[in-house]
Amino acid sequence: METIVKNRIKQIRKGDQDAFAEIVDLYKDKIYQLCYRMLGNAHEAEDIAQEAFIRAYVNIHTYDMNKKFSTWLYRIATNLSIDRIRKKKPDYYLDAEVAGTDGLTMYSQVAAEMSLPEEQLETMELQETIQKEILKLPDKYRTVIVLKYIDELSLIEISEILNIPVGTVKTRTHRGREALRKQLRHL
Amino acid sequence: MSCPTEIVQLMHKHLDHEIEPDEEKRLREHLQGCEECHKHFYELEKAIALVQSTSHVEAPKDFTLAIMDKLPNEKRTVSWNR
Repeated sequence: METIVKNRIKQIRKGDQDAFAEIVDLYKDKIYQLCYRMLGNAHEAEDIAQEAFIRAYVNIHTYDMNKKFSTWLYRIATNLSIDRIRKKKPDYYLDAEVAGTDGLTMYSQVAAEMSLPEEQLETMELQETIQKEILKLPDKYRTVIVLKYIDELSLIEISEILNIPVGTVKTRTHRGREALRKQLRHL
Repeated sequence: MSCPTEIVQLMHKHLDHEIEPDEEKRLREHLQGCEECHKHFYELEKAIALVQSTSHVEAPKDFTLAIMDKLPNEKRTVSWNR
């Protein structure tokens, strides 16, 4: 797979945009998912995920072909997500946390429109609760938890993406897990 | 709780798949005899399982198309190099 990806990148560098479309198709779900779990909002996730791909395209000549392309792409998307989290106004956080109580979240709106069966509704409510708890994590713990458990990357890959030592990734993972344990144990 | 903090560290080593066989044995033995640590371990595993259960989000429809529309038309070299 890396070989195919690297051939496409050579084509992109020659100006072939169709080759880039293939790259987007290949990674869009993973990158979107990362942004969605980091930001907790479909609109913002789409915005940041698109921005990540556009930056990758524009800066494709800075990518080092000896390294894994996905690591580079994840780094762009992770940095953009963290920037966005830090730029958010504090009142946004309050909104995010109380959203479930007034029924104005994406899930409940979808549920109301489509009148889903009970079971599916419960799954969506559970997923929404878990998402909210992930969003309560400080961004440095949230990042490692999302990369490890949602994008299923190894500790070494995470250390390369974030450009921090593996030991630091482990410490953050441990703290993130302990925080989630306390937040999710009553479910 | 009077259990050594080492036990919690062993739990995390286990979860990172980095635990040595003798440590694994020590952890198992402790968990069998200690209800509190057993609960702690169970809650960690449950938290991970719950987080993993959310991992099925897909990019919106026409995501690729939207990006292709936004790309600069030609490959510009210097000006885009931030």
